[in-house]
Amino acid sequence: MKVRIDTGCIMKMLPHRYPFLLIDRVTELEPGKSAVGIKNVTINEPFFQGHFPGEPIVPGVLLLESLAQLTAVMYGAAALPEGTDFANLNEESFSGIDLAGKVGYLAEIRNVKFKSLVRPGDTLELHAVKKIQMGLLSQIQVFARVDGQVVVEGIITVSQKA
Amino acid sequence: MAVSGKEQVTAYAEKKRQVCKDLKQMVVDQLCLDLDPEFITNDQPLFGRGLELDSIDSLELSVGVFNLYQISLSDDDKAVLSSINSLAEYVMEHQAKDASDGGADLSGGMDLG
Repeated sequence: MKVRIDTGCIMKMLPHRYPFLLIDRVTELEPGKSAVGIKNVTINEPFFQGHFPGEPIVPGVLLLESLAQLTAVMYGAAALPEGTDFANLNEESFSGIDLAGKVGYLAEIRNVKFKSLVRPGDTLELHAVKKIQMGLLSQIQVFARVDGQVVVEGIITVSQKA
Repeated sequence: MAVSGKEQVTAYAEKKRQVCKDLKQMVVDQLCLDLDPEFITNDQPLFGRGLELDSIDSLELSVGVFNLYQISLSDDDKAVLSSINSLAEYVMEHQAKDASDGGADLSGGMDLG
């Protein structure tokens, strides 16, 4: 379903903060199943100081982190009470619910390819689709596009907090 | 057609040998093990001592089993992954059941997109 989950709500769902909150908006969401989000890359990103001087390129591991954070939002949404209106989420939808504290960890990355460079000015369109789950572990197919072209793709395994 | 007990046993053994062989190849491929599949014995523990696999690998194995046989393993079936033998028996049991149900149910419980 189409949604518009902005940073206010995202920060209710993720414990990540500056300089490590690497997702700006979630635009499509099927709680626990799939999600699409956006990360805008600007020259103000702190890591461009060193990666690399004179040649700003988003580190590949941070592209994966963006995708992992999208995955965490996808899972967090599944933990919201039944009847939650996802199309109109606001910060009050989270009152009394601690989702950020329940975000799990990255357990494995697999078959990841970085297919082209991501630079300031690029808008990353992030995609995550859950494949299978076994116990606390789930496998998620992820990819990101810039201008319709895939820049990173792979499979990540995430664990839920026991 | 009357099939003697002995032929049945031989056919079963032959089938199981093949399933074990396929499973070993799948384990090595799926987990990118630097290992000759023949090196894995049928009753060797896959987890802990033995092949030293872990829970992340078990998720990967369930993907492999699904790709190979369209059988989905759930949390409750984890014991099945203890050795190639137990996995082969589980697979054959399922195939026999699916055959008597009139064909495999490819939809399965597992959503593989």
